[in-house]
Amino acid sequence: MTSGRPPTHAPYPYPLSADALREAVAQYGANPVYQDSAEWFNEDNPYRRQMRPQDLGHLDFSRVLPASEILGNSALAAQRLLTSIYEADMMYLPPTGFAEKREDFSAFYNASNRTLGEMIRPALERHAYGFLDDEVHVTGKWTRDSFRSYLEAFAENPPNGDSPSIRAVENSRDPERAARMYLLQFAADFLSEASPMVRNALGNYGNPQSEWFKIIIDEYGYGVHETKHSRLYENTLESVGLRSDVHHYWQFYLSSSLMMNNYFHFLAKNHENFFRHLGALYYTETALIEDCRSQSKMMRKVFGDSADVTYFDEHVHIDTHHSRMAIDKLIWPVIEQCGEGVIPDIVRGFEELQAINVIADRDLVDQIRWMDGEPAGKDLHGPVRAAIDSGTVTAPVTRVVEPRGKLTNTFVHDEDVLCHVVSGTMKVVCGLDSHHILEAGQGMVIPRQRLHGASIESEECVYEINSVGDYRKCLS
Amino acid sequence: MLVVTWETDGIGNCVVLAGKPYVYARTTAGEFVLMARCSHRGGPLHLASFSPGTTRLVCPWHSRATSVTKALRAGIPAVRRGKRVTAVFDVPATEKAEIEYRPLSPDLVC
Repeated sequence: MTSGRPPTHAPYPYPLSADALREAVAQYGANPVYQDSAEWFNEDNPYRRQMRPQDLGHLDFSRVLPASEILGNSALAAQRLLTSIYEADMMYLPPTGFAEKREDFSAFYNASNRTLGEMIRPALERHAYGFLDDEVHVTGKWTRDSFRSYLEAFAENPPNGDSPSIRAVENSRDPERAARMYLLQFAADFLSEASPMVRNALGNYGNPQSEWFKIIIDEYGYGVHETKHSRLYENTLESVGLRSDVHHYWQFYLSSSLMMNNYFHFLAKNHENFFRHLGALYYTETALIEDCRSQSKMMRKVFGDSADVTYFDEHVHIDTHHSRMAIDKLIWPVIEQCGEGVIPDIVRGFEELQAINVIADRDLVDQIRWMDGEPAGKDLHGPVRAAIDSGTVTAPVTRVVEPRGKLTNTFVHDEDVLCHVVSGTMKVVCGLDSHHILEAGQGMVIPRQRLHGASIESEECVYEINSVGDYRKCLS
Repeated sequence: MLVVTWETDGIGNCVVLAGKPYVYARTTAGEFVLMARCSHRGGPLHLASFSPGTTRLVCPWHSRATSVTKALRAGIPAVRRGKRVTAVFDVPATEKAEIEYRPLSPDLVC
């Protein structure tokens, strides 16, 4: 044993150098459909996805992000890019006005966009999901018996649906607003539900393939559109006043929400991850039963009887079957067919999805708190600015001048910043229907990794961004 | 079989079954569940260091070398998520497991 710890991050073929990768990402991001928007929402146009191309050239996607940075701006950019790359394999048509969007349709599906996406995808996947190689590790000799015992132990203490993010919604200062923010986080996944699964429906792998297909048939409503799960979720969104067009709320997806959805694409697009996909599938079909029960209750509690909870109630029912089908009809037969050597990968997927769930839950809780005004951003302006002015804290400053209507598309800072308005008026958007107005002399702390954007509400606005690191150090 | 979940670090980093202590080792050679008692005279393998350039842990009591190759390739089945490990022990599920603390040598916490 002469070398250090063996590399755990899987290599990928034909890696681009850091410079070549940066150039290819920038080229991908230069597509007209990925440019910044002058509006907060996309209007019935599934091809428009704001990537903040001005950031892309400054981000290093060639490295594996550590867990501490998995909600940072580089991760958010990578997840947005991956969402578009994966979805170029899917078919999207706007319900109306296609002729006016034909150019965007072509820009999104053309060969250049797809090829560039495929060039950068392996690096982005490594960048965004490489941390899982360290986060989850499977060791030892797994057998059918030990795997069965492991699953039985899990079944004795199954997820009870007591999600911190659901509690955060219910305890929010504005539960309806928080619930809408919560619901839109799932839109990227649920409005194209089970699309990643279809990737593994093709080919020929014996009886499990047909069992796999049965689950897909349920997800797709047996060909009856009104029962297709994505259609049920459209009804859910619309029943609480949300739009259901694909990626209408693109700018309001949290990085972790995209991470959750993209994880299944990452597993299914790369067929060497098939056994991990099995484990993740079994976890999701099992955990969703209680999750959906809790989500249905939360919806009723927040919105009353007007909320359409059919989507969630359907999953409470059907996932009882899917959970059983996944283990009895898929996982055990696949182990029988391929041998016990595949069990570690199944366990890995089962655990990785739980790890991502924890991250996504925490992220959403923090975002809801941020939308509710915690930490008290505006109140912190005075003491943090005083610490900067007195030299107690060294905070590099960037001064920006922007005209009326300028809209800073949503992103996150990698460290706490103090936003200070010198002149004019700025609107800082913290989430769906959540904002602060800052006038001259006012400001606020924007915590690290909190999604936000801004618009200028005066003829001109001059403001400063002070990178303070950890704002709490300014208070001591 | 008995399934036990415990912490990889700090208080509660050791599970004791039938008097035998087990810790989770993260080494330069890989990760594995380590039976932390030397088979020679019961020395504290959780304090052992690797013999340079090998996968053999040297017991601090009598310098007896214990290979971890088998533990790496065919050891106790376990999965670590973050700082929690779940392992499946080939003993009856009714066996009582106790969670304790053992200090770990630097070679076991890479």
